[in-house]
Amino acid sequence: MAQASSCWGCFQSLIDIHMNLATVLPALEIKFWVCVVDYKLADLEGYPDKSIAVGLFEGVVRTEEDLHLLKTMRAKCQTLISFGSCSCFGGIPGLANFSDIEECLDVKFRENKTVSGGEVPSENVPAILPVIKPNHDYVDFDIFLPGCPPTSKLILTAVTALLKGEPIELEPHTVCHYCDREKKDTPVEKILRPFDGNADPDRCLLEQGYICVGSATWGLCEGLCVNMGSTCRGCYGPPPPIMQDQGANAMSMLGTYAPLPPEEIKEQVKDPLGLFNRFTYATSHLGSIRIKREEAKKK
Amino acid sequence: MTTEPTETTNENEEWEPRIVAYCCNWCSYAGADLAGTSRIQYPTNARILRVNCTGRLSPEFILAALDMGADGVLVSGCHPGDCHYTSGNLKARARWAMMETAIEQAGVDPRRVRLQWASASEAQLFADGVREITEQVKELGPIRSEWK
Ligand code: SF4
Ligand code: SF4
Ligand code: SF4
Ligand code: FES
Repeated sequence: MAQASSCWGCFQSLIDIHMNLATVLPALEIKFWVCVVDYKLADLEGYPDKSIAVGLFEGVVRTEEDLHLLKTMRAKCQTLISFGSCSCFGGIPGLANFSDIEECLDVKFRENKTVSGGEVPSENVPAILPVIKPNHDYVDFDIFLPGCPPTSKLILTAVTALLKGEPIELEPHTVCHYCDREKKDTPVEKILRPFDGNADPDRCLLEQGYICVGSATWGLCEGLCVNMGSTCRGCYGPPPPIMQDQGANAMSMLGTYAPLPPEEIKEQVKDPLGLFNRFTYATSHLGSIRIKREEAKKK
Repeated sequence: MTTEPTETTNENEEWEPRIVAYCCNWCSYAGADLAGTSRIQYPTNARILRVNCTGRLSPEFILAALDMGADGVLVSGCHPGDCHYTSGNLKARARWAMMETAIEQAGVDPRRVRLQWASASEAQLFADGVREITEQVKELGPIRSEWK
C-alpha cells in the first residue's frame, strides 16, 4: 500500500471498515505500508518483481519521489489498484494545474503569508514536478477504484472479492440511480447558488436549480450526499467508461435542464471548470491541453 | 473518447488552420450545401461534420477536437426558435456559455471556437462565419505550437 501526494483519506476509509478489519487483516500479509507497518522504501525496492499480490496506490504524482514510488509499486505488484479519485483522475490536487508551477511555488513558499523570506526548499526533499499528470499516464493499472474517498463499504466489497480471487463487480449506474429524490423532468427556471433559499428535501436538487452533477457521476457511493441533503460534487468521477470527460458531460446535462440565455448562465456559473471537473481536471480534455502546454514550457 | 493526436503536417510546409465544423442537418448543413451550389467562395479549412441538431453536441465533442489538435471548432445551427427539434439549439447555447468560460479558465483562447446560427437559405452567412473563424485562428497560430 503506497501513498503519493494525497490526504490519507482513502486509507483512512479503508481503516474505517472497523470490525471487518478483524476478518480482513489476518488474511493479509502487509509488505509495505508506511505509517502503519515498519517497512521502508528500501524494503519495497528489495522485493522481487511481481512478488506482491495486490497493491493499492493512493494520491497523485507531484514529486520525483512519488513517481519513483508509483513505478516501483507497478514493478512489484501483480495487481495494482488505482485507489481513490486522486489516483484515478488527479482529484483535488489535480486542480493545481489551474496555475503554472511558478505560481504554485509563489503561493506555497516564496510569498507564503505566514512566513517571511520564504524560499522553495531544495535540500532533503524530493524535487517537485512541473505539472500533475494522471497516474495512468505513467503506469498501467489493473483496477480503478475511485471516490474521494471510496466508501468503506465499497472497499470492503473490493477487498473481499480480491481475497476470494473473484473479479470486483461494480454497477455502472450514476448517482441519480441511487438518489431517493422525486424527479419530474421539469426544466430549471433559474440556476441557484448553494446559499440561495432552502431546498425542498424531497425533490431533485437539479430540477430546483441547484447544480448537482449526480447524473455525470459514477454512483458507487450509492447517493451519499444527495440522500443527505447536499448536491453531488462528482467525487467518484464519470461512470464507465471512466476516462470520459465528466466536466463536459455535466455541462451538457446542465444545458439540457437549463436552456437559459447565455448571460444568465454566465452570471450564475462562475467557475464551470472547477465546478464540473473538480475531481477530474487532470483527465479531462481541457486538463490534457493544459498539461501539454505546461510540459512544453519546461522544454 | 480516445484522443490520440492525429498526424501533424510537415512543419516546414506553410501552416493552414484545421477547423472542425459541426453543422446541424436541417439548417446549417443545408446552408453549407447551398453555399457550395451557389459557388460562394469561402476558405477550405473547415471540415464539415453533420449532426442531427446542435443539441446533439456534448461539449466533449468540441473539447476532444481541440485536444486532438484541431486549431478551431465551429458549431453552426438553426436560429433560436427555428430548431427542427424545438429547443436543441437553446440547450447548445446554454452549454456553450459554460464551455466558453471553461476554455478560458484552462488557458485556451476562446477565439478558437465559434457558435453561429445560419438557416438553410443563409449560405452567405454560413460562408462568412467560416471565413471569420479561419481568420481568427490564423491570427492565433497552430494549437500545437503551444504544446511543444
Ligand atoms: S481521493 Fe480524496 S480522500 Fe483519497 S487521498 Fe485524494 S483527496 Fe484524499
Ligand atoms: S441530479 Fe442530483 S438531486 Fe437530481 S436525481 Fe440526480 S443525484 Fe438526485
Ligand atoms: S453523492 Fe457525489 S459527491 Fe457525494 S459521495 Fe457520491 S459521488 Fe461523491
Ligand atoms: S435542428 Fe438545427 S439546431 Fe436543432
